[in-house]
Amino acid sequence: MTQLVIGQMLNGVIVGSLYGIIALGVTLTFGLTGIVNFALGAFMMFGAYATWYLYDVVGLPYPAAVLGAVIFVSIVGYISDRALFQFTRGNLVNGLLVSIGMISVFEALVLAAFTTTPKDLTYVLPGALHVAGIVLPKIKVAVCVVFLAVIFGTYLALTRTWLGRAAFAYAQNPEAAALMGVRTGRLQTIVVVYSTALAGLGGGLYASMYSIEPTIGSAYILKAVEAAILAGVGSVIGALGGGIILGVSENLGSVFFPSAFRDAYGLVFLIAILLVRPGGLFGDRP
Amino acid sequence: MKYAIAVGLLLALVAPAVVHSDSILAIAIYGFMAASLAVSFNLIFGFTGQLSMFHAASFGVSAYVVTILVTTFKWNFWLAIIPALVVVMILSLIVGTICFRFKLKEFYFAVVTMAFSEVLRLITLNWNSVTNGSLGITVVDKPSIWTPSGSFAISSGVSWYYLTLALLVIVYIICHRILASWIGRCLAAIRLNDQLGETLGIDVFKYKLLSFAIGSVLAGLVGAFYGFYSGFVEPHYFSIPLGLDIIAMVLLGGVNSLIGPVIGALVLTALPHVIELSAELRIALYGSILIFVILVMPKGIVGLLTSRKHAA
Repeated sequence: MTQLVIGQMLNGVIVGSLYGIIALGVTLTFGLTGIVNFALGAFMMFGAYATWYLYDVVGLPYPAAVLGAVIFVSIVGYISDRALFQFTRGNLVNGLLVSIGMISVFEALVLAAFTTTPKDLTYVLPGALHVAGIVLPKIKVAVCVVFLAVIFGTYLALTRTWLGRAAFAYAQNPEAAALMGVRTGRLQTIVVVYSTALAGLGGGLYASMYSIEPTIGSAYILKAVEAAILAGVGSVIGALGGGIILGVSENLGSVFFPSAFRDAYGLVFLIAILLVRPGGLFGDRP
Repeated sequence: MKYAIAVGLLLALVAPAVVHSDSILAIAIYGFMAASLAVSFNLIFGFTGQLSMFHAASFGVSAYVVTILVTTFKWNFWLAIIPALVVVMILSLIVGTICFRFKLKEFYFAVVTMAFSEVLRLITLNWNSVTNGSLGITVVDKPSIWTPSGSFAISSGVSWYYLTLALLVIVYIICHRILASWIGRCLAAIRLNDQLGETLGIDVFKYKLLSFAIGSVLAGLVGAFYGFYSGFVEPHYFSIPLGLDIIAMVLLGGVNSLIGPVIGALVLTALPHVIELSAELRIALYGSILIFVILVMPKGIVGLLTSRKHAA
């Protein structure tokens, strides 16, 4: 029983870091552009399919395939920012609906191109680690490490570089930031594209662990938004924390309660948190 | 505008005498039900300014309650509508009280209502003994009405056409009466600035809850009929895409108008049948329309028509 619980907790951490990396994109986009980009789930799905295509069909080595997928997704992200998102800045409901419209378009395109048949990557990194009687697939550990590295890297970049501080300044007071010489329009575009790149990376690594189909994004964006709200929108490390809390509570919940309702545990938790602490667990804004 | 609506209604009344095609009637029937859903949704979204993601859930819960009462417990269809609406009302009052008591704004309201509706979907999906899980329930019964010459089953296309048209007219009139009254003014005040409304002595909580509950119950009314026309109920009724279809209809037609959602719903229901499209392309088309309408014509078709008139 202890082993089962610990194993499920570790699984929760791994899934949670995936929620976390998309939640990070949600949080950054919301902080800088005032919209919640639900299409990040679709970008993640794009990343997964691009990786599968480059790795299994074209035959690139896996890291190169993931890199290619991230670049591809960023380009799509840049185009959609220029064509769509830049017109919805600061308008939450419009941004929400535009991003939802994009999900349908993206999912339908992928469906038309690759059908609903799930795609599986041939094994990238077979084998498992045995630690104190717990079996951990190597690939999951590697993926989790990459996610953690990227999230902490983003945190460092936000706190240590000029661009990062400009972003913080903008989030606090857009006009003052503009007066201090921050090119706000460009900053917003960079953040939107960066968040799509994060989603693309999430998708690329997701493809190495699970089979992919056109609808994977929808489930994950809901989880990511839950994680971002749980933590308090606007907090970088909180996005990771929220993701891991969500992942662990789902996995542990399905040990003790019926697993058919695993998606509901996070939702109930989320409703409770929003009612008790509207600013989120780590947030201080009401 | 009033004359246009009256003419439209008259045309709708005589249409079955001219059109004999069953498929066109079926499109009209689905269109009327979608329009009723869109009109009731617009009461919450367009006129009170609350982006509810609970509408599809109200619709689905009512469809399930009526179907279970009729197929399993052999209730009369018309009698079964009452408990269904009561269930929807209680659910919407619970969800609404939680959301509005804690003053959840825009996005948080959308997320929490979406969370509640997902929980309800998971319950229907997994409560196999009652809801038959993901397979859903097949409905063979048809509602019947009493006439002097005996009971008359509503099974033909034409009778369903008039039934759903009546449903749309009823929903439309209810919403129209609400909006024309004191309540409608309060809702508009809340939409424009709820803090200002509060200082003017409007009980914001009460009126938000009222609008949410009425809109949801009307969606429940549509749900009660929907399962009996289509012949089955399934957990898909609760899904987020259905909620999005309703939003797309309202936006396409025109948010701040009563007739707008009707036009939007009829157009979006008929469009895929007018142009032959595969399922994937239809979803893509819905999404593109949603994006296009928001960015290019935020007031929808009705806004486009009325602004033309003012310009001329």
